[in-house]
Amino acid sequence: MAALDGPELADADPVRIPDASQGWVDLLSAPGPGHDEALARLHSLLLKAARHQVSRMLAPTIGSARREELIQQAADEAMVAVLGKLSSFEGRSRFTTWAYKFGILHAAVEVRRTVWRRREVPLDSLPEPAAAGSSPEQLAEAADFSHAVNIAIDQALTAHQRTVVLALLVDDVPIDVLADRLGTTRNALYKTLHDARGRLRARLTEAGYLEPSRTEEVIP
Amino acid sequence: MTGQHRDLTPEAAARLTLDPGPWLSCDDCFEQMDEFVDRLLTDGPTGMPALHAHLAGCGACGEEARSLLLLVAADEGIDPAPGLRRLAED
Repeated sequence: MAALDGPELADADPVRIPDASQGWVDLLSAPGPGHDEALARLHSLLLKAARHQVSRMLAPTIGSARREELIQQAADEAMVAVLGKLSSFEGRSRFTTWAYKFGILHAAVEVRRTVWRRREVPLDSLPEPAAAGSSPEQLAEAADFSHAVNIAIDQALTAHQRTVVLALLVDDVPIDVLADRLGTTRNALYKTLHDARGRLRARLTEAGYLEPSRTEEVIP
Repeated sequence: MTGQHRDLTPEAAARLTLDPGPWLSCDDCFEQMDEFVDRLLTDGPTGMPALHAHLAGCGACGEEARSLLLLVAADEGIDPAPGLRRLAED
């Protein structure tokens, strides 16, 4: 029996076991002694991660029954993902850290989708209020910079880049939700955002508003 | 679409013009996040500049990394504050 066997399994808190990454992988990889117990332990870890994430995101519009359902659902989905990717675990982190990230991801995505399910995603940005508490000089400077950013948005970005950056960064639409609504992926949207920021920075650097950074790439 | 007026807050203008750093996808960020968090919590050198830039520029991945750091720190009985500072500053 591998590293999960022994007194640790009798511990009152099932997820507080000493980290033994290879033991986890061995036990979860194939049926045998300890396999079912390791599966149950893994599910406990994922429930803990999902619960942690849901509680962090504090979504008052989600009732307690739906919240619990969401936690269970996220843990179940994360379980499938972890088992499917088990062979890719290379031991560069502790197994528990590796597993937790799946629970957190699935819970976070599900909360964002639930909260935005009935909300309209604005694809033309609404005005934002001016910042409070700044001096007139700071306000003037900020207004000047904001005006320059506005111009750069209009002149340096494609229509798709404008839609994406304004939804994500001005209207605070979560990236998973926007990906669902636009029929694309989180990766593709982040690539759009990455390229758009590069274009905005290039335009504003050219106009003297920003200093070029060392990591700045050449934007085509 | 040109010339649309938007009253951007200074925060929104800063988010829009954040240096995007080296390219890294959300999937690749997810692949490396656990290693990065363990390094942040053990005071080791993090390296991984593309990952750090991604976490600063992607709200969802950044939130998930902070959450993972807090969960692992709580499990291990570690003060998360230094790790969170390194996550924000590195």
